[in-house]
Amino acid sequence: MSLSGNVVIAGIGQTVYGKGLAQSERELACMAIDAALKDAGLQPSEIDALSSYTMEATPDFDVARDLGLGPIHYLSQSPHGGGAGPGAVGHAALAIAGGVAKAAVVWRARKRSQAASRVWAQSSAMLQDHWKWSRPSGVLRPVDEVALLTRRYMHEHGDVVPALAEIAVTLRRYACANPAAAMYGKPISAEDYHASRMVADPLRLFDNCLESDGAAALVLVAAERAASLQNPGVVIEAFSQGLFSGHQSMADFHRPDPLTSNSAATAENLWRQTALRPKDVDVAQFYDAFSPLILFSLEAYGFAPKGGAARFVLEQGISLDGALPVNTSGGSLSEAYLHGMNLILEAVRQLRGQSLNQKRDARVALVTGCDVTPNGALLLRRAA
Amino acid sequence: MIDGIPLPARDGPFEQGFWDALDKGVLAHQQCASCGKWTFPPRWRCLCGGALQYRPVSGKGRLWSWTQVHAPVLPAFAPLTPYIAAIVELEEQSDLRMAGMLVRDAGGRLNAVTPADLYIGMKLETVIAPLGSGVNWPQWKTLHSFTERQSHD
Repeated sequence: MSLSGNVVIAGIGQTVYGKGLAQSERELACMAIDAALKDAGLQPSEIDALSSYTMEATPDFDVARDLGLGPIHYLSQSPHGGGAGPGAVGHAALAIAGGVAKAAVVWRARKRSQAASRVWAQSSAMLQDHWKWSRPSGVLRPVDEVALLTRRYMHEHGDVVPALAEIAVTLRRYACANPAAAMYGKPISAEDYHASRMVADPLRLFDNCLESDGAAALVLVAAERAASLQNPGVVIEAFSQGLFSGHQSMADFHRPDPLTSNSAATAENLWRQTALRPKDVDVAQFYDAFSPLILFSLEAYGFAPKGGAARFVLEQGISLDGALPVNTSGGSLSEAYLHGMNLILEAVRQLRGQSLNQKRDARVALVTGCDVTPNGALLLRRAA
Repeated sequence: MIDGIPLPARDGPFEQGFWDALDKGVLAHQQCASCGKWTFPPRWRCLCGGALQYRPVSGKGRLWSWTQVHAPVLPAFAPLTPYIAAIVELEEQSDLRMAGMLVRDAGGRLNAVTPADLYIGMKLETVIAPLGSGVNWPQWKTLHSFTERQSHD
């Protein structure tokens, strides 16, 4: 049994992205799934698999009831927040490739535009998990953890601040061509980047993802059904998750080389499954809760040598006329922060030729999960 | 002490020796009885399969990385912002690292150290101080002379 080539993404759907949306998370989930089903041309009753995130608050049975899905034969949740997206898709795809299920819905709905909804702000008075070893020392927020890794990276490989500015400005430019993006109509310059407030030195406000409300969903079916779909199916070429022994989520300072992340484990197993190589990738959607994660991912997935990501961004380029367009809908920095689900939808649009920042003749897209958690990645390609 | 600081639960697996030592004002970590490798955070057994025992460490280390944390943060830390949070590499082994706050002197303010005082690799020494009632925790004292730091910048 092989996953490669046997499952396609048949439909995508999303809500508006923004702050303070009126709908509940559950209603947003239903709206996105309904849109994905219509996009695929499938009836709700044809769906027999559901996959989401362990951090998803919308119960699967509520989603099945609200939309009239099923009967459902396969239920899955993928762990680790920002690391989970490719896993949520990959698990559902494996169920289809393995003959357990016929058609799957994958979704993520979030309302976290209110400050109090942020995960770190809900830190308990007694720390039971692995964050007990770092939060009492003032390493409180994900941005603090990524800042510590970024400063060490700069110590070993040199300054990355100009590249971080280029990432923030480029992703914002993409968002300004995408009316669905939360930051549509709000361009920024490199000067704006350097003037933005420091959050965790060397990381500034514009190195941080948005806090947004919204939902995104997609529908998977077996590749043999692709001919009957409304839209061209996007083929899952390869999938892997990754976790190195010694890693702990986010506060990952205790392995011999914390600058070689779980993405290296994911990447090696991803490329093992396919004849495609990094040079064959037309667009990449790297998980970008924080801008340095794009640098780390460029290296881990083989686009730049170790220590060379900043140079890649500045000299090869991540805009549409660059070597590798990255996060072409604006990403988590400038479109929406949905734990990366919106990145997967943008990869599908690129391979259908439907992106608002279309890379000409895009045939292969890489989507990754969070570099600093247990993670995963999907390599997608256009049907031949 | 920081009022209202989130405290580490002390009843987790494999960590009793860590807390017992801190209660006596000593920093200890797990060391493998077979291969001698140190490990932190606490784990079941050494990667080599050997048994781990808590042993005191020297308390000496070097700065591996740091960030200056700016508001907004948890309410307990808000009065300290901006402050330095650091990762320390212990003398015993290059991958034996801990998160920690930096102080100029034992009992000193938790935001007295500034970015201008810091360079990666600078020597640090642990100071065990109460984090909240009944919980000791390592902080890290900067050892270099502040007046001579320019030579390292």
